[in-house]
Amino acid sequence: MTFDINKTWCRNAGTREDGLDIGAGVIAADPMFTHEGGADESPEASRLALGRFINLMRRNQGLSIEALAGKADIEIGELLSLENNASHLPDVRTLYQLSEVFGVSQEKLMGLSGLTHANDDDYVEEAVRYAAKSASVEVLSEDEHAILNGLISVLSENAKHK
Amino acid sequence: MIATAPSDVTPVWLTDRNTNELVDAELWHGIVDRNLADWEAEWIPDLQRRLKLLNQQKVERRFWPQSRHWDWRDKLREIERRLANLSFAIVAQDMTQAMMTIDLTKRARMPGHDGQHLVYIDFLEAAPWNRNDLAEEPARFGGCGLILINAAIQQSILEGFKGRIGLHSLPQANSFYANACGMTDLGQDATYENLRYFELDPDSARSFIEKGKGE
Repeated sequence: MTFDINKTWCRNAGTREDGLDIGAGVIAADPMFTHEGGADESPEASRLALGRFINLMRRNQGLSIEALAGKADIEIGELLSLENNASHLPDVRTLYQLSEVFGVSQEKLMGLSGLTHANDDDYVEEAVRYAAKSASVEVLSEDEHAILNGLISVLSENAKHK
Repeated sequence: MIATAPSDVTPVWLTDRNTNELVDAELWHGIVDRNLADWEAEWIPDLQRRLKLLNQQKVERRFWPQSRHWDWRDKLREIERRLANLSFAIVAQDMTQAMMTIDLTKRARMPGHDGQHLVYIDFLEAAPWNRNDLAEEPARFGGCGLILINAAIQQSILEGFKGRIGLHSLPQANSFYANACGMTDLGQDATYENLRYFELDPDSARSFIEKGKGE
């Protein structure tokens, strides 16, 4: 007996699955994977620095999250997580694409993300120091206020959705 | 002996990530010798090439794809005589793009459903070129995972399990099962290498099938 899976459903499936990995099943006793993921073991500070760096580079180029995601051919959600979530472990491909767009070292981006351990990790410390300096203490601009108000209205309990 | 032809074939479509166009594909009911030949002759060499790239980029082994040891011939040999185990493969452009094996003997753990029969997905894997965790090359075809989950749900309905399915996700795929599939995360399973265990209840299974069905 065959199943009912139509073309429209498959088209949507292709979109919904974009950028996600799908594997399921026992790992087959690889001792490297007897614990969860590994993301927690990576230094959060250097990931924060990575997120801060991407945020500053993006804004310096006058790009929205959406525009940078399009330019780098990466998922918007992945970019959002990278900028804002220090526990998010990026894909190797994402860092490769961003290093190409920003013209910086892929190896160093991977070091900051915790995907690799650099022998010479001075740049990681330095990047964290720069990132700490860049944290904004300025009050919100008018534009930022408008954006924030928009976000609040979208995210409020009473927001009406189409 | 592993079959040479699938028992049934459901037409499906995959998304070509380069052109964003749909390509004709087939869901084979039963992994057959031809799929295992693709795995041996195409998947393994391609996986090795990508592992080499990860190694050259000094990516730590703990971030390499966790399914790299899987031996599909071994898995099939183990279940070929069992009536309670089924398998599926997706084939497009004359090549196996993804495979899945399921077990019909497991029971649900979700509160309110515990003890009920479900379809348990033993193994699910996409071909190396359809994955995102393997170096910088983008995935070639999209949709394999959701189509296989759809197949598991429809098999569950056929078995009278009302669409219930369960599985242990590989760490890199937790987001896929939680967000794209809408499965309930029941947490890490200490008896199963600490992988996260996910389940789909009948209501969520219905939503999954209906979502994006369109006209």
